[in-house]
Amino acid sequence: MIITKDHIGGLVFLCLSAAYGYYTGDISMLPGDEYEPFNAQTLPSILSYMGGILSIALLLTASRDASDRLSFKGYDFPLVIKLLVLVVLFGIALEWVGFLVSTVFFLICGYWLLGERKWKTLLIASVPFALFIWFSLSQLLDIYLAPGRLITMLFGG
Amino acid sequence: MLEGIFTGLGTALMPFNIMMVVVGCFAGTFIGMLPGLGPISAVALMIPITYGLDPASGIILMAGVYYGAVFGGSTSSILINAPGCASTVVTSFDGYPLAQQGQAGKALALAAYCSFTGGTVGAIILLFAAPALAKVSLSFQSGDYFALMVLGLTAVAAFSGKGQVIKAMIMTVFGLMISTVGMDTMTGAPRFTFGSVDLLDGVSFLLLAMATFALTEVVMSLMKRQHLEEDQPIDMAALGSMKLSKEEVKEVAPTVARSSVFGFIIGVLPGAGATIASFLAYGMERNFASAKEKLKFGRGALRGLAAPETANNAASTGSFVPLLTLGIPGSGTTAIMLGALIAAGVQPGPRLFVDNPDVFWSVIISMYFGNLVLLILNLPLIPYISRLLAIPRQILIPLILFFSITGVYLVSFNTFDIQMMVFITVIALFLKMLEFPMAPMLLGYILGGIMEQNLSRSLVMSDGSLDFIWERPLTLTIITIAVILLFMPLISKFFESRAKKGIESSVNTGEGG
Repeated sequence: MIITKDHIGGLVFLCLSAAYGYYTGDISMLPGDEYEPFNAQTLPSILSYMGGILSIALLLTASRDASDRLSFKGYDFPLVIKLLVLVVLFGIALEWVGFLVSTVFFLICGYWLLGERKWKTLLIASVPFALFIWFSLSQLLDIYLAPGRLITMLFGG
Repeated sequence: MLEGIFTGLGTALMPFNIMMVVVGCFAGTFIGMLPGLGPISAVALMIPITYGLDPASGIILMAGVYYGAVFGGSTSSILINAPGCASTVVTSFDGYPLAQQGQAGKALALAAYCSFTGGTVGAIILLFAAPALAKVSLSFQSGDYFALMVLGLTAVAAFSGKGQVIKAMIMTVFGLMISTVGMDTMTGAPRFTFGSVDLLDGVSFLLLAMATFALTEVVMSLMKRQHLEEDQPIDMAALGSMKLSKEEVKEVAPTVARSSVFGFIIGVLPGAGATIASFLAYGMERNFASAKEKLKFGRGALRGLAAPETANNAASTGSFVPLLTLGIPGSGTTAIMLGALIAAGVQPGPRLFVDNPDVFWSVIISMYFGNLVLLILNLPLIPYISRLLAIPRQILIPLILFFSITGVYLVSFNTFDIQMMVFITVIALFLKMLEFPMAPMLLGYILGGIMEQNLSRSLVMSDGSLDFIWERPLTLTIITIAVILLFMPLISKFFESRAKKGIESSVNTGEGG
């Protein structure tokens, strides 16, 4: 049997609907709410059934064409993983070293990952830009940008 | 109505709002030009900015970005055969061959004139159609609202691509599921938060929109290796003249007139947006053409370029009708606008006309300005704006990523949102690879909360009975339309196969011809 994108999608959503339905029972209700025509569990229960029915419908009507198989050919996964890790690191850096330093770090690494190797370009396209954005936000628009825990620990603030 | 027009004029003519139109058109043109980023991504990127503005200025900016992006998409379609968005795919059919024949300037100018005409005609019809519809919809009750939400959700599913109906419906349900995360608005009970304080407020709309459209689109284009070394530098000297001869104007005038009205009507239908309008207008124009003219289509026909360009702008304007009067987004882009308006405390729908006349009318009035801005400023600037396409993608992509992430961060100041964004992007990438459409999910998420409230109210009022569906003719009519739309793909399939059988049997019995 050929497993196509539809089969995988159907199975994934069937599992999701089952898990969603299972956790619907965990939603706390006020005493007597279960006798009300509509409570916090009503819509989630309907949705879990609908999700289940539609997933089964997708599985039953799934394409069986070999060309609809899930193929990872031609996809540059390593680059995407590196970029997403960089975004996660940017989030962590924001908390520790503040907006300005983390922005410079994010942009330089981003340009580097996408193939820019000239240090002059890396610095020109990141440092002035980060400074401009930081200045616009914190000085012109008066938005408070936390300096970062590490900076506060080292220099106080 | 006149009073409303004056209210709209007063708001739209405020210097700040005029600036919003200009900025929106420019930003939209630029973002729309970048292959991979369409109007949805462009409007999503604007949400953080609109949070600091009043609702009227916010939606004026987003509307400007919307038609600017549609216009920008056609520029890249014509110049480098890389449509910036789905609605300008058809533009490249005849626009790119024209550019290859050394007539890129003419193609760009024609696209600008057609966009202007389509958008302006659309705005004129909107001026009369929207208030009339809004007055009718003022009599709506909670049951009717619930029915409307169902209609909005089923329409998107029905209009999604062939063989995608079940997938679109699953994504709608998925969006509804996401909308239930967080505190229940009626009882205050936490739902699906798994003990996390960060999830008590639910998944933020901005986060979801940015992750599924802006971030996913950029990452997907990188993943497919459509970047870096493939980029071709554009030769600006080869743009050629931007003038159209009298004969050429005469040739395209009827096409523009037809496509404006047709595009607007398609845009009004919930679920059918600028993309469907441009494809249908192209097909219609080809059918109208003589056998000789038909041969020109796909090889640089002016009519083939004028039809989709006019229709997609008219449809963009038309899609504001269901958004402003019924609170149903007609397309993915207007779905994002709906979310942004709700976040700003404005509920689009029948009451918008009464409660926020400044928002209602200023959007309509600002559309005229927007189209004028696109024509006056963009036409002479096309050769210069086109140079933006020459910015190396290795510089541009990290900047787009940076704006997407900080846009979300600067609203909540919570780095949990950034991690959540990455998580949702990974899921969205996987779903995209499985060919699941994203817009129905966002629509389900946006309409989920309102639908639940109205269903709850209706059920409580009818003592738990579903009678409210058939007690009022209006509710029943809307639900019937929703059911028809839901089964439309099946019905059309049935008629298609019957027509096929009819042809086969007539061939077998020798009746044909």
